[in-house]
Amino acid sequence: MKGLEKIIICRCEEVDLEEIRQTVSQYGSSARETKLRTRAGMGYCGGRICRPMLDAILKKIMGDKPQDQIPLKIQPPVRPVTLARLGDGLHHDD
Amino acid sequence: MVKEIHAEVAIIGGGIVGCAIAYYLSKAGLDCVLIEKGDIAGGTSSRCDGNITIVDKDPGFDSMMSMASQKLMAELVQELDRPFEYRALGSILVCDNEVEMEAAKKWVEIQNNAGLKFKLLDRSDIRQESPYFADDIPGGLECETDSLINPYLFCYALIEKAEQYGLKVYTGAEVTFVSQNTDFIIETTEGTFTAEKVVNAAGVWAPFIGQMLNIEIPIKPRKGHIMVGARQKPVMMRNVMEFGYLMNKFQRERIADPETLKHGVALVFEPTENQNFLLGSSRQFVGFDAQVDINVIKTMARRALRFFPQLHDFTIIRTYTGFRPWTEDHLPIVSAVEEVPGFYIAAGHEGDGISLAAITGKLIEELITEKEPTIPIEPLRYDRFKKKTGTCFN
Ligand SMILES: Cc1cc2nc3c(=O)[nH]c(=O)nc-3n(C[C@H](O)[C@H](O)[C@H](O)COP(=O)(O)OP(=O)(O)OC[C@H]3O[C@@H](n4cnc5c(N)ncnc54)[C@H](O)[C@@H]3O)c2cc1C
Ligand code: FES
Repeated sequence: MKGLEKIIICRCEEVDLEEIRQTVSQYGSSARETKLRTRAGMGYCGGRICRPMLDAILKKIMGDKPQDQIPLKIQPPVRPVTLARLGDGLHHDD
Repeated sequence: MVKEIHAEVAIIGGGIVGCAIAYYLSKAGLDCVLIEKGDIAGGTSSRCDGNITIVDKDPGFDSMMSMASQKLMAELVQELDRPFEYRALGSILVCDNEVEMEAAKKWVEIQNNAGLKFKLLDRSDIRQESPYFADDIPGGLECETDSLINPYLFCYALIEKAEQYGLKVYTGAEVTFVSQNTDFIIETTEGTFTAEKVVNAAGVWAPFIGQMLNIEIPIKPRKGHIMVGARQKPVMMRNVMEFGYLMNKFQRERIADPETLKHGVALVFEPTENQNFLLGSSRQFVGFDAQVDINVIKTMARRALRFFPQLHDFTIIRTYTGFRPWTEDHLPIVSAVEEVPGFYIAAGHEGDGISLAAITGKLIEELITEKEPTIPIEPLRYDRFKKKTGTCFN
């Protein structure tokens, strides 16, 4: 995949393929630890853009290593939402 | 599969407490293994805030223990090779009403008499802290020595250094049985270990490890919710809690609306180093149910808006829950266990495990190497619960 190393995997947190690879090789980190260290998948969109690609890449790099037991899973809110809306519209957000 | 591995000390649990113990024991030259069922910091220690605080500790032993831990943290910043987003900026508590303000005055007095660095804040001090605060907050208080860290990065940094001192780490290895012959025999999903000593640092799961040796450990999960807010504009640099947090924590009476009381909600605002912020939190006894409860989240959002109305159009991007390892007297168990010589417990730190991890690691090292403890450990003994209730646990 030479030449692709600079490709951005997680847009929200600006993490490229190289950083993910380096983190895994430097720390021998699991999928979860790699996400926590690089912040890939932890950005504004909640991983909705990058997650499929990120998971595929991590799976490929990890090879046979047992997969992440407790992945950073999808948590509510599924979409970003304002604090006011969560607080039941006490203050108007739109 | 590991065949059979022997070590002087086996530490069960790779949360912040287990990592700190592993660090201090390895540094002292002991041959240790750390056994973790999932990932390092995969339990409560990555589902929490990162406040290293005295501001919310009961004056006396509680605050003394935290202060000892803060001192060690400042040393660890120098000792460890990796940064862990340590920010020593102090923290503040804000009051909701005049009754709390009166209580805050007393709190400052008591803490200062105990030699701590507390300061009362008035309305205008609060406004200076952040333009996002509500106008009607009557005031609050400040503790100068408090700091913030990123707990999972701290765990990684401790482990990395401990490995340099010879620690062996086994992740994905769930302890399924522990027994004692001359040595302890620790059976895991990844093979069997033997060790002369065992430290149970399994947090909220410590009672299950205890059961394997017929030891009852009175720790219960006290669930907490957190919301992650997205960086938009900087809100403020320091950690903020509301005074009502103290009341919740110590299960004392507090004035607030029924939903807030029901879910044990109190404001905790924590800026993270990447400029996002965490908004907490709740306190509930609901067993091991980790589901995010939208009603609790809504109550927390309302509580946050009470103190930070100007955050109304800030975006929440994530929520999560964690289990605080609760004990009846709100102090952890950091102790040998008389009934099982060589077995130690370091668990039950409730909402203070980040603050108290360093001192806990140090104390276990001192217990195992039979050194004079940095602080008196009587109040942390395992058998205190037995004495109090008069019942025998096993
Ligand atoms: C919402 C919330 C906010 C908080 N905020 C703060 C704060 O600001 N400041 C503060 O000081 N504290 C805070 N806390 C408390 C703090 O997070 C905990 O006290 C601390 O993380 C406990 O650490 P631990 O190492 O004891 O437990 P854990 O981190 O849970 O570690 C225990 C480990 O043991 C492992 N384990 C369990 N069973 C087994 C087994 N059979 N075999 C092998 N391994 C096993 C688990 O997988 C886990 O990794 C907060 C907690 C919550 C929930
Ligand atoms: S693209 Fe990765 S979190 Fe949004």
